[in-house]
Amino acid sequence: MVAARLRPLLRIVGAMSVIVGIVSVTFLVSRVFTADPVNLFVGNSATKEMRDQARKELGLADSLPVQYLHFLRGLLTGDLGKSYLTGRPVTADLITRMPATLELGLYAITLGVLMGVIVGVLAAVFRGSALDGVLRLLTTAGLSLPQFWVGLMLLWLFFVTLHVAPGPSGRMPAGMEAPPTITGLYVVDAVLQGDWATAMIAAKQLLLPVLTLSVGSFAPIARQVRSAMVESLDSDYVRTARAMGVSQTRVWFAYALKPGLLSVLTIAAGLVGWTLAGSVLVEGIFAWPGIGQLALTAIRSSDYPIVQGFVLYVAVLYVVIWALLEAVYTRVDPRLRS
Amino acid sequence: MATNVGPIYDPPSLAHPFGTDRLGDDILSRTMSAATLDVSITVAVVLLSVTVGTVWGSVAGFFGSWFDYLTMRILELLNAFPSLLLAMLVIAVAGPGLLNVVFVVALLPLPDYVRLARAEVRSKKNWQFAEAAKLVGRRPVGVLFAHLVPNSLRPLLTYASVNASQVAATVGALGFLGLGIQPGSAEWGSMISRGQDAILSGQWWVAGFPGLMIFLLAAAFHLISDAIADSRDQGGSW
Repeated sequence: MVAARLRPLLRIVGAMSVIVGIVSVTFLVSRVFTADPVNLFVGNSATKEMRDQARKELGLADSLPVQYLHFLRGLLTGDLGKSYLTGRPVTADLITRMPATLELGLYAITLGVLMGVIVGVLAAVFRGSALDGVLRLLTTAGLSLPQFWVGLMLLWLFFVTLHVAPGPSGRMPAGMEAPPTITGLYVVDAVLQGDWATAMIAAKQLLLPVLTLSVGSFAPIARQVRSAMVESLDSDYVRTARAMGVSQTRVWFAYALKPGLLSVLTIAAGLVGWTLAGSVLVEGIFAWPGIGQLALTAIRSSDYPIVQGFVLYVAVLYVVIWALLEAVYTRVDPRLRS
Repeated sequence: MATNVGPIYDPPSLAHPFGTDRLGDDILSRTMSAATLDVSITVAVVLLSVTVGTVWGSVAGFFGSWFDYLTMRILELLNAFPSLLLAMLVIAVAGPGLLNVVFVVALLPLPDYVRLARAEVRSKKNWQFAEAAKLVGRRPVGVLFAHLVPNSLRPLLTYASVNASQVAATVGALGFLGLGIQPGSAEWGSMISRGQDAILSGQWWVAGFPGLMIFLLAAAFHLISDAIADSRDQGGSW
């Protein structure tokens, strides 16, 4: 069957065209509808010659289609242009700031998934009890709390009032050296080098921002796990397992939880994009030097090459994650293989 | 609205139940006047999105062919954008303002509404009540909008209510970033941003109360959605 063999190829072509679409939309939005970026470089008193000179240096003198072609050609070589404000290459800026966001997102999603599964399982197992009611309230709260506000309130409670967490000083307290780079994730790097004291300090810095990001992410997972688990607890195969004398915890985790885990995977994949968008808000609050903060500053100062780079980066990540997810699905779930 | 009605950064008291901010404005009255704005923006956004999404999705699902194909490709494109980021980008470019915020935020959940409406109509268009309407001489447009769409509304409304709570948070987030209606206006998000610096010096109430309102509004919409879902499915799920 030619069609079946071509399907992966078609999927790649499809993903590529989505990415090209994203690139084009971003390019258009940031070039067509905007105030003239030249104004950022020359003062109000600049002469026409100075303006033209600046325009030429920025590559904005050409017609729009030519600019678009330049932009695409740059993309193919990994060149996303230079920041209007700092003059540094966008790719380099994104790469330097990536580990900070990665560290934050990794722990936040892990914590969110763990809490979500635990809450979901407990609620399903004790369905209809007081505990179920409390967990339902907690989950509704998690879905409704505005992230940035949670960040501010945690800061007030744990830093200002209780003095148990560090203030918004980024990845390390002021004046502290970062551990030597291996992976770029401070806690992991410090542990790898046996420097437990630095690892603890870095972990403390992570505490509040990670908590802020995971408050919203545990809730959708908890809901999903509960409803999937309620269904499988009522099913025939679980009843058979019970009748055969399988222990209670084994029934819960090895039998009833399993079918629901695939949908957890789907939600977790969606959380990646959600967490990246959230990092724009949360990194600002905690002075976290990641790509979210970079994007926010860039948006506020009309630094479009950076904005483009960030949007592109996030979108590509999104498309890749969904493609991977589909591959994992067909491998894990035999029903999808035909 | 009167400015400097009280002392600066006064903690909550009988005179000012929510305290005052750095300009001496009473936070309770600002929070109340912001409620009109935030609630009406949220409702306007959801109404706009649900209407456009339902019409678009049901037409695509009913008539199919190239229009349906095109619709699905557009949805894929819209889905790949990180939503809050898209909103920030467009508003940064188009400038803050009430209408801009409403249009941009309405664009974010649009793919979900289109997809829901499309799926509902596709699954029901061959049911007997639709066939019967066709047999008594209803034109296709009539079958779609007088019979199929009204019978597909429940999942759309359940989702609209969940979505409303997300919209309330997004509007707040944009205001917090200074990309909302008008920086400094009485809107919950901008009020939180005004109180951001005061957090570190201990004045929690400036950002605290407006954020609490966003939370309550969002939670209220969630409870409504749960109620709609429960009315179909007794007990069981949450």
